[in-house]
Amino acid sequence: MTVVEGKLVESQKEELLTGCEAVAHAVMLADVDVISAYPIRPYTEVMDAVSKLIADGKFFAEYIIADGEHSQFEIVKHASAVGARVFVGSSGTGWMYAMEAIAVTASDRLPVVALVGNRALDDPGAFGVEHNDALTVRDLGWLLVWASTAQESLDTTLIAYRVAEDPKVMFPTALAMDGGFLTHSQHMVRIPSQSLVRKFLPAYNLGDRRLHPDNPISIAPQVNEDWVMEIRMQNAEATKRVPAVIDKAYREFEDVFGRELGNPWLEEYMMEDAELAIVGMGTLAMPAKAAVKRLRSRGTKVGLVRPKWFRPFPTELMQKVLSRVSAIGVVDRDFSYGSPYYGGVLFNEIRSTLYSSKNHPTIANFIAGLGGREISIADMIKMIQLTYEAEEEGKDGQVKWMGVRE
Amino acid sequence: MGKISTLLDEVAEADIKNVEVNYRGIFQKTLARKICKTLVYAAKEEERTGFSYGRYSDAPERNGVPCKYFAVVAEMSEEDLEAEAGAKIEPNDVNVSIVVDDTMVKGVEPWGFSGIRPINEKVKLGGTLLVVSERSPLELLKNVAKKDFPYKIAVVPGKHSFSGLWVYKDDFTDARVLGALARIEPDIVGLEALRKVVPEKLGAEKIDALNDGYKSVIIKSIAPGEGIDWPYSIPTLPKWHEFKEGIVVKSVARGGRNEDYKRFTTRTMRPVIRFDTCIKCDLCWYACPDECFDPTPDGLFDVNYNYCVGCGRCAEVCPVPNTIVMVDELKFENNDSPYHEYKKDKEAYIEWADQKMGEKRVNYPFVTGTGLIEENVKKNDGEKG
Repeated sequence: MTVVEGKLVESQKEELLTGCEAVAHAVMLADVDVISAYPIRPYTEVMDAVSKLIADGKFFAEYIIADGEHSQFEIVKHASAVGARVFVGSSGTGWMYAMEAIAVTASDRLPVVALVGNRALDDPGAFGVEHNDALTVRDLGWLLVWASTAQESLDTTLIAYRVAEDPKVMFPTALAMDGGFLTHSQHMVRIPSQSLVRKFLPAYNLGDRRLHPDNPISIAPQVNEDWVMEIRMQNAEATKRVPAVIDKAYREFEDVFGRELGNPWLEEYMMEDAELAIVGMGTLAMPAKAAVKRLRSRGTKVGLVRPKWFRPFPTELMQKVLSRVSAIGVVDRDFSYGSPYYGGVLFNEIRSTLYSSKNHPTIANFIAGLGGREISIADMIKMIQLTYEAEEEGKDGQVKWMGVRE
Repeated sequence: MGKISTLLDEVAEADIKNVEVNYRGIFQKTLARKICKTLVYAAKEEERTGFSYGRYSDAPERNGVPCKYFAVVAEMSEEDLEAEAGAKIEPNDVNVSIVVDDTMVKGVEPWGFSGIRPINEKVKLGGTLLVVSERSPLELLKNVAKKDFPYKIAVVPGKHSFSGLWVYKDDFTDARVLGALARIEPDIVGLEALRKVVPEKLGAEKIDALNDGYKSVIIKSIAPGEGIDWPYSIPTLPKWHEFKEGIVVKSVARGGRNEDYKRFTTRTMRPVIRFDTCIKCDLCWYACPDECFDPTPDGLFDVNYNYCVGCGRCAEVCPVPNTIVMVDELKFENNDSPYHEYKKDKEAYIEWADQKMGEKRVNYPFVTGTGLIEENVKKNDGEKG
């Protein structure tokens, strides 16, 4: 660490890391106690990276190979209940196989941090990205955030621990990363020092909820209709306390590490004076930015909104940002068979968000990039063009599948 | 809104340099990654941005399967570079296509639905196919598809390398390839920058190899139309409404083989068989993990080279010395049945097979069924005698 103009500035160590290796470094810096692992691509990459850090003697943690994802998630749930900071993760059907443990972890308010390397839900066999796996926990009390670069993956992992373990929060948090495009691609990543991370991230403290013989408690007994409404209400109220904690965590991150992270909730790219917004999560923001930039150079007033935190959903902010434009193209890297308008998950969240706004932009929906299919810059320009056309023709709520052989 | 097609070239493509490394799964994954990562570090040394990635749909954990790794460098901000090239399965084209196993010039089939692709498929106008090989560019060209624009084939002398794979001794192929690259495309990476990063990233002992790669690379210009007519077609996949619901696809009938996925591009060496010394023990037929051996009416076993991945198991189990020998794949022009050749003209076949096997043979030190090293068996036999 050096002192510049009276302020502590982190010595910048830069390494070429995959998104998963960046997360593994964050797990090491967060001094995680217990890690449980079970391989499934693309999550495997982070499991390998963490085990290598341990094998190389750089990181000391209990690393448990489970016999399947269900026990993998049970292990960290229990470890978390006895006061261990934990890390876990999975992808696609592996995540689905663990779903029972995943659901109760949220109800039990245990701040497990998980990496979901987004992967198509088999069948058919496919390694590539689809957001449906992570989205399955959207109603359960998991906090859910999408990263789009390796640097953001490292930063968000540290923030995830800070937010999840905040006494006002205590919800498990899943960091979703696009399989392949982000999990397996190596970019220059600034790695913060251990001492700064310690400054940012206080020790995990469950307080009087810590399961220990000296603290006789029982977690999650059978309660039936006598208690369930109250428990659900308590958790629902707790989710409302999350946004302020997230806001504070980002600002303190910037203070401690001396790096700007921008708006925690969503990234706005060339949105000043935009008439049309393209909305999408994860790495599809990359070709979207290139498309927006090209169109801007022609004087077309278009911008990109990339939601980061999906749970809790930034309703008011999203309303504020998107009610400024007259047309919105939501790109879903997911599907929701039989949903309203037969559209995607993000699309219906955005539509619902804008219902109470005074201005009602035309909203078009695109289902794209499923199973890891590439979304090109040309695809993005096409989607923007179709959104303009939908607005001109007054066709709101159209859903189009992009890049399908038809 | 302007026409889409006119918008696509707006960011000058030339600003972004793409390099690919064609490598074989397992054996060369570390090597390919090291080349690409070191290249990005060197670009950073020259104050450019870059990143590297493997082709995600590949199967790099499967022995010998052709795979690709990429490095992308440019003079633009990280955000702009990621926007232009950061979420792609593979680049549209490449300035340099590196091949770390020269037998891959016969074509690469990474995956069942891709077809067998020419090794120079992605090389752009004026670009280079850079091969680690003991052969000349013109010898390699005998296997390479013609292109309708000029490009180069360069050779950095060497054998296909296992550098970076577990216990194999590192032969510094990574540094030699990077040295050659600095000579071919100094705009992508300069020798000075490499001299700075190679000691730290690959090891101080590799500096000489880097310089050697720079000096020893042989570069040959290839004119439009030079090369072969590519014999393999790229499969056309059905439209969404053209196949059965419920993810049902046609399978291989009993006793048949998959016509759409032959897998022989996985092979670096092929088994050559001396049918005249074969004792018809059937161990090759039994041991072949890919069921490539076909029984013949006279009790011999033909091998189907379209499906053989060159694993060497048959040569390992064959109890008769020099009856099945693994031979460099580039010595062969086709996958025709060796048994049919043998039946046509036995003497000619034996002479041919012996010539292909050559003097330098791959020997397996274990004697089948004993687990003992051959020399020790001989020694024991001698003691008995």
